[in-house]
Amino acid sequence: MNFTPPLLAPAYPEIFLLMALSALLLLDLVVPDNRRFLTYAYSQLALVATGVLLVGGATGHVFSTFGGMFLDDPLARSLKVVALLAMALVLAYSRTYNQRHGLFRGEFYVLTLFALLGIMVMISANHFLVLYLGLELLSLSTCALIALQRDSSVATEAAMKYFVLAALASGLLLYGLSMLYGATGSLYMPQVANAIASGVADPAILVLGLVTRRAGLSFKLGVVPFHMWVPDVYEGAPTAVTLFVSTVPKIAAFAFFVRMLVGTLSPMVSDWQSMLVIVSVLSMLVGNVTAIAQTNVKRMLAYSTISHMGFLLLGILSGTVGGFAAAMFYVVAYVLMSLGAFGLILLLGREGFEVNSLDDLKGLNKRSPWYAFMMLLVMISMAGIPVSVGFFAKLSVLSAVLDAGMTWLVVFAVLMSLIGAFYYLRVIKLMYMDEPSDISPLVAEADHRILMGLNGMAILVLGIVPQPLIDLCMFSVTRSLGSG
Amino acid sequence: MSMNSLYLTVPLAPLAGALLAGLFGRAIGRTGSHVVTILGVAIALVASFFIAQDVFAGHEFNGDVYTWIATEGVAMHVGFLIDPLTVTMMLVVTFVSLMVHIYTIGYMHEDPGYQRFFSYISLFTFSMLMLVMSNNFLQLFFGWEAVGLVSYLLIGFWYTRPTAIYANLKAFLVNRVGDFGFLLGIGLVLAYFGTLDYATVFSQAPAMAGRSIELVSGSPVSLMTAICLLLFVGAMGKSAQMPLHVWLPDSMEGPTPISALIHAATMVTAGIFMVSRMSPLFELSETARSVILVIGGSTAFFMALLGLVQNDIKRVVAYSTLSQLGYMTVALGASAYPVAIFHLGTHAFFKALLFLAAGSVIHAMHHEQDMRHMGGLRKYMPITYWTSLMGSLALAGIPPFAGFFSKDAIIEAVGASDIAGSGYAYAAVLAGVFVTAFYSFRMLFMTFHGKPRMDDHTREHLHESPWVITVPLVLLAIPSVVAGMVFVEPMLVGQYFGHSIVILPQDDALHELKEEWHGVAGFVLHGLQSLPFWLAIAGIAMAAAFYLKWTRLPGLVQDMMGSIPTLLRNNYYFDRFNEVFFAAGARCLGQGLWKVGDVFLIDGALVNGSARLVGKLSERIRRFQTGYIYHYAFVMIFGVFVLMSLWFVRV
Amino acid sequence: MTDLTPLVFSAFGLVLLASAVGVIVARNPVHAVLFLVLAFFTGAGLWMMLEAEFLAITLVLVYVGAVMVLFLFVVMMLNVDLDRLREGFWKYFPVGAVVALIMVVEMVLVVSSRQFSTLGLDGLPAPASYSNTRELGLQLYTNYVYPFELAAVILLVAIVAAIALTLRKRKDSRYVDPSAQVRVKAADRIRVVSMPAEKDPS
Repeated sequence: MNFTPPLLAPAYPEIFLLMALSALLLLDLVVPDNRRFLTYAYSQLALVATGVLLVGGATGHVFSTFGGMFLDDPLARSLKVVALLAMALVLAYSRTYNQRHGLFRGEFYVLTLFALLGIMVMISANHFLVLYLGLELLSLSTCALIALQRDSSVATEAAMKYFVLAALASGLLLYGLSMLYGATGSLYMPQVANAIASGVADPAILVLGLVTRRAGLSFKLGVVPFHMWVPDVYEGAPTAVTLFVSTVPKIAAFAFFVRMLVGTLSPMVSDWQSMLVIVSVLSMLVGNVTAIAQTNVKRMLAYSTISHMGFLLLGILSGTVGGFAAAMFYVVAYVLMSLGAFGLILLLGREGFEVNSLDDLKGLNKRSPWYAFMMLLVMISMAGIPVSVGFFAKLSVLSAVLDAGMTWLVVFAVLMSLIGAFYYLRVIKLMYMDEPSDISPLVAEADHRILMGLNGMAILVLGIVPQPLIDLCMFSVTRSLGSG
Repeated sequence: MSMNSLYLTVPLAPLAGALLAGLFGRAIGRTGSHVVTILGVAIALVASFFIAQDVFAGHEFNGDVYTWIATEGVAMHVGFLIDPLTVTMMLVVTFVSLMVHIYTIGYMHEDPGYQRFFSYISLFTFSMLMLVMSNNFLQLFFGWEAVGLVSYLLIGFWYTRPTAIYANLKAFLVNRVGDFGFLLGIGLVLAYFGTLDYATVFSQAPAMAGRSIELVSGSPVSLMTAICLLLFVGAMGKSAQMPLHVWLPDSMEGPTPISALIHAATMVTAGIFMVSRMSPLFELSETARSVILVIGGSTAFFMALLGLVQNDIKRVVAYSTLSQLGYMTVALGASAYPVAIFHLGTHAFFKALLFLAAGSVIHAMHHEQDMRHMGGLRKYMPITYWTSLMGSLALAGIPPFAGFFSKDAIIEAVGASDIAGSGYAYAAVLAGVFVTAFYSFRMLFMTFHGKPRMDDHTREHLHESPWVITVPLVLLAIPSVVAGMVFVEPMLVGQYFGHSIVILPQDDALHELKEEWHGVAGFVLHGLQSLPFWLAIAGIAMAAAFYLKWTRLPGLVQDMMGSIPTLLRNNYYFDRFNEVFFAAGARCLGQGLWKVGDVFLIDGALVNGSARLVGKLSERIRRFQTGYIYHYAFVMIFGVFVLMSLWFVRV
Repeated sequence: MTDLTPLVFSAFGLVLLASAVGVIVARNPVHAVLFLVLAFFTGAGLWMMLEAEFLAITLVLVYVGAVMVLFLFVVMMLNVDLDRLREGFWKYFPVGAVVALIMVVEMVLVVSSRQFSTLGLDGLPAPASYSNTRELGLQLYTNYVYPFELAAVILLVAIVAAIALTLRKRKDSRYVDPSAQVRVKAADRIRVVSMPAEKDPS
């Protein structure tokens, strides 16, 4: 049997991250509890080094290795860099919270980095089995993270829900994959694409597989009707974990949607397009409408996430390169906003107190004008008000849909974001117009203030000069998907 | 340093100054604030000089420095178009702005909003430079709105005064009317040309000259006329042409340096500049130019008349500004764009000078603005007096002061024009010369000559203003005297503007002037024999007679005139009309719309109704979220089932 | 002699389906677990028929031998309240049944009437020298080395997660520290105190 060892260079970032992780597992044993900061610093360092490898190794071309299972293209590189940045922010924002809530442990860092590895694997997956394994890696780590606060019964309940439903979703995904394998005889994405394009595969089986497979993937994205876990988990999980769950995995979700639907199933565009329309419409409807009735900040943001994911799908379902670039822009913008929102909730908490109810945000402007202003930026961006990155994200997605000729969908989406504006603006009203129920001034550490400032400014600056990010998205998408 | 970065320096240096003074004003203190802003503007001025040299050596520039957004079809850039027209404006703007900055140190030194003020005027300089340096409509509009915004902020600078708030609101609203037209004009350009870039639009314009559009179906309008008229509506708002002039006199509520910089020298001339910049478009529509002539002529004459009855020193200068803007507009209508820009430049110098001198007087008089309480200030404030005299001579159009050349050229150009409305405009500007000379010397005599009419306390404290105030006066007086002589030949006869202004041969009103050109001295001699000069002399003589010799005459004349002075004092009832008709009408309409549209339809049915509907829906959907895993799982399975069934039916 | 393969296949298949249904409907959790064991066994049988011996035996060894036994322990030790678990079963049964039925029909229609791809499959029995186990190993460590490594990482995460979630230091329990036991020296155990044999008479 002939076998040539695979080329490792394209996968250096992943390999390095895994090695750094394994080292962390060992190192963490000898770090005493009162010097846990070392673990934190080490994790950040590992992220930085991985980022350096990623950026340094970027060529702008498409490579594949491990017998074609691993794909390294500009899309993967840029998404991984975004994921790394988001992860670094997650770790930074959650540092104080973790110290206060007994999560400042090696496991937190090990598990988040494992989840990141899963995300990177998914982003680069060119084989459905690898995609599945990456997904499982992510799910399992996430589930453990949610349950990490053992003494909290809500966290345990949330972890239980996540675990069971994720297992169900994985089952559906596997079922769909088996259908795909049955219809095409391969799990390599390019071969599957060939089989579908040449008409060898049976369309009915393909559609059956498509439905179940997409259901499995939609779970991670949290779109209707696979969204039920989102509010419960967001609310129940420790906020630091919520911050993670609401941001970085969405990048992977976007990547696998694009890889699966565009790279592989592009001949079946009419089938998955209408499927995505239904899901996206339902997500925007349920997400925006239900968010209004929420009194808990985390739940409100959970529903907001659902509606954002509906918007994200709009870009994908347009089926054009411009649409995918718009969706990529959207996912980056969303990650920025979500980091800001949950990051602020994290930072506003203090010893023995967490921001849960919307009322806790009352009069924030009086207590900390800086944080209130950052929250204002995040909220106007989420609502899609101009001069924020959220506005351009919505605009580009909607114009992609308009180009695809679905005017009614655009009208619907605009209506929905109008409804959505209500609850975002309510937060602003609470912060600026209402009297605080708790008048103690907020103290925050310097690194949090600076990072949050950068986060907020990024939302603002990308809203004023979005072109570099638009260009990056366009470049990644055309280079990676345009040819294939 | 490459030219490109030099171009960028010009607007960015004042912006940096504005940001530093605005955001860190408290940290860098009063001195720090004026140092950074003055430094920024000075850098811009020096850079403008270098650029001007470069341009007149033949290096013009038109390019984008930054692409803001590129969507399908339309790219929105930040770019510069550097040509003689632009550098002329750049020099005028930065020079006057620098003078005003220096002047402000003295004028505002007791004001608590010192840093804020410096930040605003530097921000204004940035905006104005962006406006004039733009190479596309979008950036033009940005600058247009930005100067409007800063103007609004500065008119209401003393925001605790109700009159200031009223005035800035008025300025804002009136400018909205103009901007609305302007925006529609830009929209038409975008719709029919598909681009916002000047060069592309101008090169395509001749091909579009014959096109007509139907704004109201059934009545076709020439596309060019529609675009030009809409753009001119914008110019009317910003350059305060009748009937959109009402905001400018009230804008005098702002501090005097602002009146000089924004409401005399630069911002209000943006409309003139814009029309000159758009000369390739305006040349294609004679109808539009006729309208411009009529509006400009009316403004020039009727606003000058209003200057006769004002007693507030700043208001006299304000009405004079309105009238002079009318002159420039008339020149535009006569296709004499170079003359308009020429007058814009000379006017900027002598009008800024007059405003700053008025400010100097006001400063010395402890913020007394009524001329009836002044008089005899000549001996207390010699520098202010002499510079004011030069400014007034320039304004009245006495050779060889700067105003003479530009104003005489305008009159000549209008006389040579033969499109509809030119006869009316010619009569208006001729009569305007007499009135201008009269009111400007009325002001000079009432303020500086005659018996002191102020109270004793004020008189004891009278003294010349400090050097930070007098130096700008002197520096502005120099161009007020010589700018005309120096620039008249290249600007009017030579190829000063090159290709930056387009005049069709058949419209060239300056043609005659060029044919008979015998040098500057010849122009002056010709001017001495012509009607305008004697009208101006007559105006001055009459002012001397009325206000130096027989000081009871004005009262007698007023009594003889009947109701005319009252009409004038009430600004032809424009404000009254606006209040009764537009403001009250709008309020009435608003009330109606509010009660029927808002309260009943929108609030009642749409907002509250839909909110109630959404709220109910929200409650309903929320109940799905039971918290039971098996419900969640069922929803998932059911979702798969529905999707599958849908596609099962289809396949 | 007729080929018995289809017959055996059908028998295994039927038992597998029946026991799967049994897992769901069995009232007693212990019975459900036992049904699951049966399902695994028949599944292993099916794999054996497909010449996947290694997988078949692994299924029996790992799942039946280890996992299911663990399950049984848990079920027996927890003493689940059956009646509470079955509450609402009949409430949801009609909807669930209808949905399930339609889905089954749809799937049967799709799967039965359509052609699965047979790319690369000849359907013939492999020669006697063929070793499925060896083939599996070759594939796993060469072409599938990347997924294989990923699976290893997942197991590592599972270990970390399990330890993180269950290991807790109990402050109230007393335990012996073996390393302390080993490290101990004679001097630590007894202290030799020198003292006079008799009380000083004075």
